[in-house]
Amino acid sequence: MLLRTKLCALSALTCLFASTVALAGHDNIEVDPAFKRYAGLVTALGSADPEGRIYSFQAVQGGPARAKYVPDELRGWRLTVLAGKRFAAVFEVQANTESEITVTLLDGPLNGLAVRDAFVVENVAVKR
Amino acid sequence: MKVGVLRATLVSLIACAPAAIAQGARIPSEVVDAFHAALRNKDTAGALSMLDRGLVVFEFGAVDPTVEAYAFQHLPFDMDVAVATRWQLETRRVGGEGNERWVLSTYRVTGKQADGTPIDQTTLETVVLRRTGDLFRIVHFHWSTNDPAFQARAQGQRSKSQAR
Repeated sequence: MLLRTKLCALSALTCLFASTVALAGHDNIEVDPAFKRYAGLVTALGSADPEGRIYSFQAVQGGPARAKYVPDELRGWRLTVLAGKRFAAVFEVQANTESEITVTLLDGPLNGLAVRDAFVVENVAVKR
Repeated sequence: MKVGVLRATLVSLIACAPAAIAQGARIPSEVVDAFHAALRNKDTAGALSMLDRGLVVFEFGAVDPTVEAYAFQHLPFDMDVAVATRWQLETRRVGGEGNERWVLSTYRVTGKQADGTPIDQTTLETVVLRRTGDLFRIVHFHWSTNDPAFQARAQGQRSKSQAR
């Protein structure tokens, strides 16, 4: 079941990439990245707390970055949801493994996030 | 006294500006400017908040058919470019009526590429906006450049990628 979900997410990733050709931003200009970032897709939601709030999810990496993040590399980074009901919602990462991301309580729960939603994690603080 | 009141008013307006942008600007050209400002300020959510969920982007011959595709694939690079370059507005025309508006802009873009090559070109931008409720949001971008060498290079890179 989990494998099937991951395959679906990978298929969604392929669709996102197939829709366009990877070139630099404003395509003709090549500059250094403003900061380090990773993107990915949600493959499963974490367990809810007794109040029904969810603060973690499983993910598969994708997007322009070729490198893979390592455990707890994303700690303190800004996570922005790029699709679905939580489009443009921002969270701060509390911890991560290679396959799971947990956000802090500071920005509220992830509820509304769904499997196959895309996200980006950027090495910049959340402004509050 | 009058200067003090004016200063207080200005300070108050400046203090309110980020909140106004966060809620979504109301004038089409302000939305376009707020989008570019958000990119320059590395504010991913702020940039996304200016986009309609039906966004389609044409960029140098490539197409992002959905807002998710643009946000996932191209917006990060557009942010990198915005941070590394200076965009000076040169001309702007606005038009449309009712809930559908357009903003046509040309920018002189200057800076340096990653390899040190200077950038000095004109970028042409067409933006179509749609009003939902009180807010205008961007439903279409089309970017191109007046520099034929850059245009050819971008399209050449794309042809190679498609051939692979």
